[in-house]
Amino acid sequence: MIAWLRNPWGRPRALAFVTGAYIIWSIVPVGIAILFAFNAGRSRTTWQGFSFRWFTGSTGSVFHDPALQSALKHTLLLAAITVVIAVPLGVTLALGLQRWRGRGSGSVNTMMLLPLVTPEIVMGVALLLLFLKVFPSIGLGTKAQAIGQVTFTLSYVVVIVRGRLVSIGREYEEAAADLGAPPHDQILRVLLPLLAPAIVASAAVVFALSIDDFVVTQYLSGDASTTTVPMLLYATARGAPSPALNAIATIALLITLATLALAFFVYKRFAGGGGDAAVAAIMEV
Amino acid sequence: MPTHGEIQLEELTKRFADVAAVDGIDLHMPPGEFFTMLGPSGCGKTTTLRMIAGFQRPTSGKILLDEVDVAQVPPHKRNVNTVFQNYALFPHLDVAGNVGFGLKYLRCTKDEQRKRVAEALDLVQLCDFARRKPAQLSGGQQQRVALARALVLRPRVLLLDEPLGALDARLRKGLQVELKTLQAELGITFVFVTHDQEEALTMSDRVAVMNGGRVEQAGTPREVYEEPSTVFVADFLGVSNLLTGEASADGDGCALRVGERTFRARQGATSERGEVKAMIRPERIAVEEHGTVGENRMPGLVERAVFLGNSFELHVRVVGGDLLKVTMPNDGTGIPVEEGTAVALHLPAEALRVLAPSSPPVEVA
Repeated sequence: MIAWLRNPWGRPRALAFVTGAYIIWSIVPVGIAILFAFNAGRSRTTWQGFSFRWFTGSTGSVFHDPALQSALKHTLLLAAITVVIAVPLGVTLALGLQRWRGRGSGSVNTMMLLPLVTPEIVMGVALLLLFLKVFPSIGLGTKAQAIGQVTFTLSYVVVIVRGRLVSIGREYEEAAADLGAPPHDQILRVLLPLLAPAIVASAAVVFALSIDDFVVTQYLSGDASTTTVPMLLYATARGAPSPALNAIATIALLITLATLALAFFVYKRFAGGGGDAAVAAIMEV
Repeated sequence: MPTHGEIQLEELTKRFADVAAVDGIDLHMPPGEFFTMLGPSGCGKTTTLRMIAGFQRPTSGKILLDEVDVAQVPPHKRNVNTVFQNYALFPHLDVAGNVGFGLKYLRCTKDEQRKRVAEALDLVQLCDFARRKPAQLSGGQQQRVALARALVLRPRVLLLDEPLGALDARLRKGLQVELKTLQAELGITFVFVTHDQEEALTMSDRVAVMNGGRVEQAGTPREVYEEPSTVFVADFLGVSNLLTGEASADGDGCALRVGERTFRARQGATSERGEVKAMIRPERIAVEEHGTVGENRMPGLVERAVFLGNSFELHVRVVGGDLLKVTMPNDGTGIPVEEGTAVALHLPAEALRVLAPSSPPVEVA
């Protein structure tokens, strides 16, 4: 037995075992949760047959329960707003930081990475105080939630787009300038088309981050209409459980996975080599 | 003779932090000529080219393009175009899109744009490739697209940054000839940057040999090869033998005392006195029968004889310890030599060149 495990010419079996055990440990609970979204009964622990009733049934299903529907809609709305604001802003910042080679550029670059490592709860509390005390006119609710999500997703856009910018280098802009293109045309006709894969990928990452976010969104929420899917799941998971929660969680998971798969595909397919930072950022989500 | 496309660099300097990449150079690039800046990496040739293109802003000095100083003009407003070392073709545009990129800024009609793109592609024989993307082309084809993209704008000066560097040897040879022919036909001033001395000699009307941010010597290929004024130029262009000796007056040349022997030298800085270096090319040394005596002759022993087909390359150890490289043509007239043969070497006075000590003040051709 020991010899079989330790055989230096064989496959690394101990390693394979640990890896396999981890994958099962991490996937099986999610799989079971998804499975019970299709349970025919009310139970979330006892299998009573296959059905779509928690998705499309006439009572208590995702498509007919007003609370669940409102949460899904608000989640998607927030994600859309966040993408629309964070992506153009992040691309602009990335372009600016790439050009800025003077004093202070190094520390700004490091600070751009801070939101990636700041505990989300710290950022949530800080933003809550900001909207309550400094900008009470904005108040809590959709606006505050969107601003909060833009704040912490912006860094991902900057990191992904800058990774691509570094691998593109300056030569294409120089070539465009050489051929007579003024600075804005160097960006519009050359840089943006070359950055397109990174922009699409970062939009997908921001979208996925927004859908999954709980802490910041929870802190900055206002009334019941600003409840998102993760908030709803948290609030009702222990109180009034029903397989409809599993159903809505399944939908959220599918949207996230589909977006990330799209991001990964677009980046790999169109960006060619380089830009490992972007791939790492996508995987990190 | 073309009347425009003249470049005059005056006291041009570029510093990066404390390092002078280009250290106050003066160069005249006459209109319609093939001008080459030659030197090892880090000599400042590419930085100079990038300043002419406008990508680098000079620390000080002037860049006169047809007598107008363009040193502070941004690159998109200069009537010079560049062929980049790795071509920098836009990967998202096809060949026609790349070649037509700059025409948008020349205020010509769509029809004229199409016509000029077609002409430019015809010039580089790539008409059938208009719809290909750069990634679908070979290195040589990409190089032609880069050339067409620059020439379609009819620049006064075309800048070429080691454009043959990424190609294999056989392709290089062909493109060297093509580039030179194209330049002669178009009459556009070409400013070419390379570290390959053979490329510089075969293609150029004029060569500036650069080292350490300065111009060591500028002149025609024959001048810089046959009449190098510094040790660096002599060494960088081809193979040369260097002798160190004491120079003293001797008629119209000078007498060079090397160890026990005295040579007469009639070329170069013959008015120098004291310790100097003198050079002679391997092909200018004559190999004679052992025992031959006379002016500028000395005995030696062949240490290595390499047969190269059309010539022999000999390493001859002379009395005093110096090792001289000698190229002996295989024309049937030479004496038979092999390793260990004792010979006499003749270093003709009119081929022995006294070099100025280290970098002289920059001279402009």
